[in-house]
Amino acid sequence: MTKRFLSVGVAGLMLAVLPVLLTPAAAADPAAGKSVFSSTCAICHSIQAGQNKIGPSLFGVVGRETGSEPGYTYSSANMNAHLTWDAATLDKYLEAPRATIPNTKMTYGGLKDADKRANLIAFLATLK
Amino acid sequence: MHPRSTTMQALLAITALAWAGPSHGQPAPATAAKHPIPQALKFEHAEDAERLALLAKRPGAVGAAARKAIPLFQRHAAREAEFIMAPLALLPDLADGKVTPDMAWAVADADRVKAERERIFQEHTEVTDALNALISAAERAHDQDAKEFAEAAAADSLNDVEILEPMVLVIGDYLRGKLPAAH
Repeated sequence: MTKRFLSVGVAGLMLAVLPVLLTPAAAADPAAGKSVFSSTCAICHSIQAGQNKIGPSLFGVVGRETGSEPGYTYSSANMNAHLTWDAATLDKYLEAPRATIPNTKMTYGGLKDADKRANLIAFLATLK
Repeated sequence: MHPRSTTMQALLAITALAWAGPSHGQPAPATAAKHPIPQALKFEHAEDAERLALLAKRPGAVGAAARKAIPLFQRHAAREAEFIMAPLALLPDLADGKVTPDMAWAVADADRVKAERERIFQEHTEVTDALNALISAAERAHDQDAKEFAEAAAADSLNDVEILEPMVLVIGDYLRGKLPAAH
């Protein structure tokens, strides 16, 4: 009886944990994300705090509001988007920037690979 | 590349580049500008074209990335030469308060920029992709010259989006409001 309860309990625990393990965030690799950053973002974005280039600094981007990096001149589209750059918003934006924030001036067509986006977001989350 | 140079410059540059490098580039665009473009932009484009042409001749990944970028730049440059840049040549006269009926062509150009703005933006994103590839190759090859070119061209692209293309629309609206009085 005890064994049976234990088995059910373990199975239940696995079922509860499995979806978390399978989410992109759980599988995300910040080191791989750094590589994605270098090849697709670094031309315009710095990861140094306060160092704005063609695009705003991405230091601390996760958790901050759109259009809020001091010293960067944003498009009115980003200024007025009033979104928070959490993982879900970043994922959507990075996949299709102009579809997520129409008239954003970021001249990037989007990162279509979901795994690369997850890795990139995991890397961005380390920038604190 | 000069920091103030525009994306257009890089793009037109590429056009010139393509002309200069027949072995790597596409045929020169058939489109000829109906009206002159600002000399400053023309000159800077020529400089950029020369630099990209040189990069395209390099061996390895940098040269390959530069050659892939050429047709994208060329296409965009041809579009810019055809109807985006010419209205900007009117700015000195407009700033002096001079509006004449023979400027009416610029309204049509501005309307076309407005109508094709998303398509033009899409071209910028494709150029950005090409520049990302170029800069990645440049970093692997420790090619500072290529890296600087790619960064400057990306800045030019934003310059187009932030300033030059909106300015053409403003010129069109300004002329539309002023031209009836000029007739």
